[in-house]
Amino acid sequence: MEGEEEARTRTERRLKKAAQVLFFRRHRAPGVKGWELKKALGDDYLEVLGVLDSVLDRLGMEVKRISEEGEERGEGGGEGEEQAARDRFMIVLKEPVIEKASGERIDDVAMLAATLAYIISKQGKAPRKAVEEFLGDKFPKQRVFFALDRYIRQGYLGEDENVLYIGWRTRAEVDRKSLVDLILSS
Amino acid sequence: MKFDELFRLIHFCKTIQKEGTDPFDLDVSMFLETLNRYYTKWKSLDDLLIDAEAIAELAKIIELQGKWIKDRASSFYIDPVLLELKLKMLDAQQLATAFLKSWHPLISVDRITPQRLKEGLDYWNALLPLSDRKEDFPLPATVDMTFNIEDLIALNILSTREFDESIQAVLTELEKRGRTEYHEFIYDATFEASIIKAYLTSYLVSEGKALLEINPLEDKVFIAPSTSGDVKGRTPGRSIPISLSYEDWLRWRERKKQGQGQNGD
Repeated sequence: MEGEEEARTRTERRLKKAAQVLFFRRHRAPGVKGWELKKALGDDYLEVLGVLDSVLDRLGMEVKRISEEGEERGEGGGEGEEQAARDRFMIVLKEPVIEKASGERIDDVAMLAATLAYIISKQGKAPRKAVEEFLGDKFPKQRVFFALDRYIRQGYLGEDENVLYIGWRTRAEVDRKSLVDLILSS
Repeated sequence: MKFDELFRLIHFCKTIQKEGTDPFDLDVSMFLETLNRYYTKWKSLDDLLIDAEAIAELAKIIELQGKWIKDRASSFYIDPVLLELKLKMLDAQQLATAFLKSWHPLISVDRITPQRLKEGLDYWNALLPLSDRKEDFPLPATVDMTFNIEDLIALNILSTREFDESIQAVLTELEKRGRTEYHEFIYDATFEASIIKAYLTSYLVSEGKALLEINPLEDKVFIAPSTSGDVKGRTPGRSIPISLSYEDWLRWRERKKQGQGQNGD
């Protein structure tokens, strides 16, 4: 009986620790790497995260796992331990939010939405110049330039040799199919 | 002259891959015909290498064409022209609404903890005034090169004797302490002294006078003086990066202070 009680207390303690590590920001970029979670929670950290995920589910949140290349991992990951250690874990809202959930200006959100939709339609990557020209149709060039740099810093976009692509954070936060469908049906 | 056409085609293939433009813009049969036309004229190894590169680039484009067809056949395909047109028609409010409806924001909380504040305070206390840290912000060097120990000795910045004595002092300390956890060994009264000791220790390891043992399970590194047997059986070494952070050093100093306090009680 006592052993069972101890095991439950231990699980609860690790669950609390997992929630703290994932909720509180530790680095400039949000999210926590698998190896950090392993260090904090132990070798079976993926199981602990599974339990946390089911607890968060009742609160409308979920634990999301994204590879460094931006690829989303399904339930259980299905990948090796090494891959899991390199992946990034974070907590996201399960349902989309309608109310305001960020301090971004509406212009900036609109620009981000247009940029993502534009890049998605170009099979996931587009020359930065083309994106700047496209956004420049509605916003001053200077603002477009700084906005794109900010989206790159925030992880919504990636840039490689002047080519923009969908960043890891967009893959974690944005339902891309829904975004495009909503834009087409507006 | 004969290369111009091939170089142009290779460059075109690379542009398609880089910019994600329509891979069907490349006429594959014409590309192969061009290669076939030149095939009999190749004479040197360089000619054949260009030919191989062209084939390799063409293969990548054919792979992209396959992917392109798959994407178009999937339900996720959107006509870029139609979407672009739609994006231009929508106002900022409509775009932002569409984004918010498909957005599952990441949840993270920023909070300064008392421990982090204390670390900040320790850092502040240990930080020298800006006027004393001028050497931390040197003017840009006009010559872009690095100095090794021999250069420093040749410039009389460091003497061979001084350097050897420093190395010997570290070795004597290591022999006295025996096998020790690496950070426990190199951390000293100041962070600067710790860095110098780590630098000198790296020489001992490179020269085979000390051995590093890595225990991946415990995530610990140990250092021990070499025995004569170790030196004889030495295999070519490999570089082992070990991080030293100011914060870690502060934690070590704190632990040491606490240890001394308990011993004193």
